Amino acid sequence: MKKFFTLLKIEGKLSLRCVDSIFFGICMPVGIMILIGLIVGQNPAPNDAGYTLIQSSFGALITVGICATAFMGIPLTIADYRDKKILKHFFVTPVSPTMLLWVHAVINMLLSIVSALLIYTVARIFFGYEIIGGKLSFIGSYLLVMVSMYSLGLLIASLCRTVKTANVVCSIVYFPMLFLSGATIPFEIFPQPLQSLASFLPLTQGIALLKSTSLGLETSLLIPLIVLIGSLVIGIILSIRFFRWE
Amino acid sequence: MEDCIKVKNLNKSYGNRVVVNNLSLTVKKGEVFGLLGPNGAGKSTTIDCILGLKSFENGSVRVLGMNPHTDRKRLFERVGVQLQSSSYQGNIRVGEVCEEIAALYQSPADFRDLLVQFKLDHYVKQPVAKLSGGEKQKLSVLLALIPQPEVLFLDELTTGLDTVARREVWQVLTALKENGLTLFLTSHYMDEVEVLCDRVCIINRGKALVTDTVPELILKSPYKRLEEAYLWVMKEEIAI
Repeated sequence: MKKFFTLLKIEGKLSLRCVDSIFFGICMPVGIMILIGLIVGQNPAPNDAGYTLIQSSFGALITVGICATAFMGIPLTIADYRDKKILKHFFVTPVSPTMLLWVHAVINMLLSIVSALLIYTVARIFFGYEIIGGKLSFIGSYLLVMVSMYSLGLLIASLCRTVKTANVVCSIVYFPMLFLSGATIPFEIFPQPLQSLASFLPLTQGIALLKSTSLGLETSLLIPLIVLIGSLVIGIILSIRFFRWE
Repeated sequence: MEDCIKVKNLNKSYGNRVVVNNLSLTVKKGEVFGLLGPNGAGKSTTIDCILGLKSFENGSVRVLGMNPHTDRKRLFERVGVQLQSSSYQGNIRVGEVCEEIAALYQSPADFRDLLVQFKLDHYVKQPVAKLSGGEKQKLSVLLALIPQPEVLFLDELTTGLDTVARREVWQVLTALKENGLTLFLTSHYMDEVEVLCDRVCIINRGKALVTDTVPELILKSPYKRLEEAYLWVMKEEIAI
C-alpha cells in the first residue's frame, strides 16, 4: 500500500504539472457552469417541467471532467508511458506495471470528482442549485458513467500502438463526445436528426441517466443502463485482449 | 563459486529471422561478464530473454536460481536493470524519479548517497528532461543500483558519456564489484570492457563465437589489445 501511495503522490504531482488536464477537466466545465448560470440563471426549463435550466444542465456538466480524463488523460498517459518504455521497465522491478495503471485511474478519478464537486459548489452557492432526485442514485449513476467511460479510454490506449495515433483517436472521440452528447451544449436544442445520431454516443446515454436521476424523472433508464454497462464490459474485455505493455 | 546467471541453449526468433541461436552462458557470483557484438547481433534481445521480458522458443534461463518469468517479484528485489535508451515521464524531476524507483523495493539504497557518488546531487530538483545526454545515462545506471542489487544488468552502460563521466561510472562499478556484485553488461567500447570485464562472450547474428576471459582472448589472437582481438574474431567468423 505504501508503494501505491508513493507512486500516487509522485504521479499525481506530474499530472498537476500538466496544465491541459486541469484546464479541460476543471476550469472549462466550471467556466461553462458559470456562463450558463449567468445567461439563464434561475429561468425555468423551456418545457415548463418544474425545474430550472441550471438543474437540467447540472447532470450534463459534471461529465465534462469525466470526458477530459477518460478520452484525454488516461489514454494519452498510457500511450506515452508505453512509448517511453516506462511500463516495460516495471517488469524488471518487484512491482507489477498494473499498479501504475491503477495509480493513474485513481488520479483521474480524483480529478473528475474534484471537477464535479467544484461545479456543484459553484451551482449551489451562486445559482441556488438543488438536486431534486435521490442523492445516492445520482452518485451511483455518476460512478457508473465514470468507470464506463474509463474502460473506453483504456480501450483507446490498447488499440493505439503509438502516441501519435492515440492523439488523433483521442481528438476524434473527445470532441464529438463533448459537443454532441449534451455535456456542454444542451441535447434538447439539437435538431431531431442530430439527436438520433448523438444518441449512439455512450456519453449521451450517461448524461440521460444523470439528468434523470438528478431531476428525479420517471423515465425508463433501461437503454442508458444497457449502453453504459455494455460499454464497460466490452471496453474491459477488448482492453484485456488487445493491451500491449510495449 | 555459485552460478548467478545460467543460460542454456537459448533460441529466439522473430518469424523466420533467428535472433538468438542456441546461446549458452554462465556467469559466476562476483564476476563481471560482457556480452559483445555488433549492432543487431542480438545482445539486447538476449538480455530481454534473460530478464523474462521476452518469451523464447526453447532453452532455459536461471538468474540467482530463479525463473525470471515466474519468480519475478522475488527475483527483482535482488536484481538491478538498466535498459538501453531509457526515458522518463515528461516533466519528472531527478529526485522524484529516484524516489519513485526506491518506493518499489523493500530495502532500497539511499538514493541521495548514490546521487553524490554519481555527482548528480545538485540536480535533485531539476527536470530529468533538462539533463545532458551523459547525465541522463548516468542517472539510468544510478537507478539500476537503487535496489542494492546482487546482480546488475547494464545494456550499453556508458553510451554518450564523456571521458570523465565514464571513469566515474567505472569507479562506482569497480567498488561494487569488490563488494561481490555480479555484473552483466553490453558495451561497444573495448577499453571499457578491458577495464571492467573478467570474461566476455562475443556474439554475431545470435550465435556465440567465443567465450573466454579477456587475457586469454587476447593471447589466442595475434594482437595485444582487446579491440583488435575482437575485430579478429569477427573477421574469422566472416571468413568461415
